Amino acid sequence: MILHNANATGYVDVDRTRQRFRVDRRTYSDPQILRREIELVFRRCWLYIGHSSEIPNPGDFVTRNIGGYDLIFLRDRAGVPQTYFNSCTHRGSTLCREPNGNAKVFACPYHGWVFDAQSGRLRDQATKTGYPADFNSDHAYDLRRVARLEAYREFHFINYDPQAVSLVEYLAGAADYLDMVADQSPDGMEVVAGGQQLFTAGNWKLFMENAYDAYHGVTLHRSYFEFLDTRVAAQNMVATQAGEGFGLGNGHGAFEIQLKSGRPVAQWIPPFGEAAKPKIEALRQELTNRLGAARAERVAERQRNLIIFPNLVVNDNVGVSVRTSFPQGADKMMVYVWAMGTRNEDALLRKIRLDNYLTFVGPGGFATPDDFEAFALCQRGNDLTPHAWSDISKGMTRDEDLLLGRADFLDEAQMRAWWAQWDRVVGGAKP
Amino acid sequence: MTDAADAEPISCVQIERFLYREARLLDEWRLPEWEQLFTDDGTYLVPPVGIQNAATADPATMLFLVADDRSRIRQRVLRLMKTSAHAEYPHSRTRHQLTNIEILADDASGTRVSAYFSTHHIRQNQISLYMGQLLYTLVRLGDSLAIREKRACLDLDALQPRGALALIL
Repeated sequence: MILHNANATGYVDVDRTRQRFRVDRRTYSDPQILRREIELVFRRCWLYIGHSSEIPNPGDFVTRNIGGYDLIFLRDRAGVPQTYFNSCTHRGSTLCREPNGNAKVFACPYHGWVFDAQSGRLRDQATKTGYPADFNSDHAYDLRRVARLEAYREFHFINYDPQAVSLVEYLAGAADYLDMVADQSPDGMEVVAGGQQLFTAGNWKLFMENAYDAYHGVTLHRSYFEFLDTRVAAQNMVATQAGEGFGLGNGHGAFEIQLKSGRPVAQWIPPFGEAAKPKIEALRQELTNRLGAARAERVAERQRNLIIFPNLVVNDNVGVSVRTSFPQGADKMMVYVWAMGTRNEDALLRKIRLDNYLTFVGPGGFATPDDFEAFALCQRGNDLTPHAWSDISKGMTRDEDLLLGRADFLDEAQMRAWWAQWDRVVGGAKP
Repeated sequence: MTDAADAEPISCVQIERFLYREARLLDEWRLPEWEQLFTDDGTYLVPPVGIQNAATADPATMLFLVADDRSRIRQRVLRLMKTSAHAEYPHSRTRHQLTNIEILADDASGTRVSAYFSTHHIRQNQISLYMGQLLYTLVRLGDSLAIREKRACLDLDALQPRGALALIL
């Protein structure tokens, strides 16, 4: 067996004899390292941009900053998603200034260049005098498309590298975990209105580590579990949880646990109320019919925190939330957050789902503000002490294959998988 | 719980006095007393930022930052008073400032009030400013008033500089 040993950058220190895995804390603060991340990670890896349900109709668009570039993500008249750079090809002005909407054309506010939303073709320049008759016959002034746009089960990803491997190949073992989200309804999933954009202190990687770190739960989120205890027997629920954390290839990873906290799809618990019981049981039956008993049990009874390298987080917990984190300089991050529900979801079940989101994942909830506080504390502690290493050794064995390691869910195998891939890619390997 | 509908309408002076006291309770971290200002069916709402219809948006169909019913308002307060609510420990200092207080309507559900707010939040050398419009539904409760709904519509495009909203607006 060939074990992956991270050592390409010198920032990841693997000592198998001591069962020790460490990360150089300069990776959270050094602007030179951030430059390499932007060039080698964000310009070459598949980056999540949005979900089909956000642009259901022809002409629908959202504007987003993905990996440092402003993009327009839209559905054209033929129903095909497209991604353009949100910049006029004339002088570079930002073209579309709305966060979302429906458009046939995009008109530049500066000199009035007009672009067809479907084809990206330059249609008009307000006044055409002074240009030769065959101006733009080579399409040099059409809107610029992002090199690659591919989707898996309605999750759309872009890649700035024309030579990148296909999305499906890139997703490796993580594809199955997106299946377990998409399969929660025969009608598929949808993003709930009201997606959130946040800016906060801390290097973008602190967000990634946190998103599938079960270890910090009982300490940092004690006040959340005390709140939960007023609704369900949370301490007992936490004490009986069991599961594993693991790498899924290409830097992706997850933990998956058995947890009796209830799910709208489809695990009823008494605090959801009697009215919800037959609805959830019917959904569970539908899952069993469609997916088979074993798969339905896994989808409905277990919960998963998934990370797709480099920066997509899917919390498939009580409800489903989707988040991405991007660097804003070395010591700040920008985070997009969406909650997902099933298409055509029952109003009561939607409320149960959103209540869970609001109290845990939501930025105004009883848990996430404390995570953000931890990012600020880590950033400050790293920046204001002499050079040191962060430890990510928990659960490491001497013969762990770092990209595909497997340990208890309270261990850190999933994080080692992420950092091993970070080391490869920042070290120059093709993602 | 409210007096008969034919009682004197709530005056602007009463409302001002009530809302200024509410602001002071928040700024003095007297959150258990603040919580008592709500009716038994009281709600505290913060719609998503960056939307056009924050005043009418429905938390049942849209992802809010906060959508607390009465029991969750209590849980929010209980949590914030603990040292394990790390995002607000050590406690911040805040100034909840209100201006442009207007009575919008008076009907069976209560007196609808609009106020502009700017809440300055100071913690660990970082000053954050939250501004927007507060929409209240107030009712009479004994000699005083009570909050049936408090909706804080933030004018921010994105939640920043703190990406989370632990404080009460």
